[in-house]
Amino acid sequence: MQGFNAWPQAAARTRPVGHIDPDGPSGPYPIPWLDTNGSHNQPAGPDLEPSHIYHFKGRVARCSGFAGVGTDGENERLLFGTKTTDYGIMDGEYWAARAPQTGAFTHI
Amino acid sequence: MHDFHPPISDAGLYWVVPVPAGALQWSDGGRSATIEMQDVAVIDQPKWPARKAQATPARMSFKMVFEATHQAVTYDDKTRLFRVTGFLATCRMEARVSVPSIGFTWRSDPIDKCPSAAFAVIGNEVNGKYYQEEAAR
Repeated sequence: MQGFNAWPQAAARTRPVGHIDPDGPSGPYPIPWLDTNGSHNQPAGPDLEPSHIYHFKGRVARCSGFAGVGTDGENERLLFGTKTTDYGIMDGEYWAARAPQTGAFTHI
Repeated sequence: MHDFHPPISDAGLYWVVPVPAGALQWSDGGRSATIEMQDVAVIDQPKWPARKAQATPARMSFKMVFEATHQAVTYDDKTRLFRVTGFLATCRMEARVSVPSIGFTWRSDPIDKCPSAAFAVIGNEVNGKYYQEEAAR
């Protein structure tokens, strides 16, 4: 039978405990409801939010649907991009560790 | 077949990496953005989205330019707590990648030779608590 502290003991056996910020990590985290396919990813498109970061306000840019061409190291021409090839920029303020944080991030 | 992207972060952020200082420039009052990053640590994961798909360390450099059109857009979703105000945009990019362990390199055509993305938007967004705070005013 497991006691109340069974989980912390198990964690300690598998991973040394380093510094734990009492207010949580200050890095951005994903939009919680974006998990319909088991991930926190979303496409780019009309009526979809560009940011991947939750509790965010700032400038954004988002795009999808590339169809380009390039050259590999053997001088072969290779296509790149699909309709879901997407990129994004998020630059502003987000809330984490119980405080406003600032930063610029890109989804690539 | 290759698929280059950063790993998913511990927090779950999907293929998102910080932008170093100086790599991102906004201009024209936020109607244009240029981002240029060199040798970003990514993975080459050809079998993605298969779970546990093999991932090989790779490097990616790219330049991307967004420019607003004159077509304004507003996306406001009270259920999902986000609002976007901005413009449909054009986006062009050039990139180069390498997978040192297999000696693979690839470089796209120059940015002025690459077709614009099928969809792009540029603007401002609020979501989550910031959306709620604005709604409460």
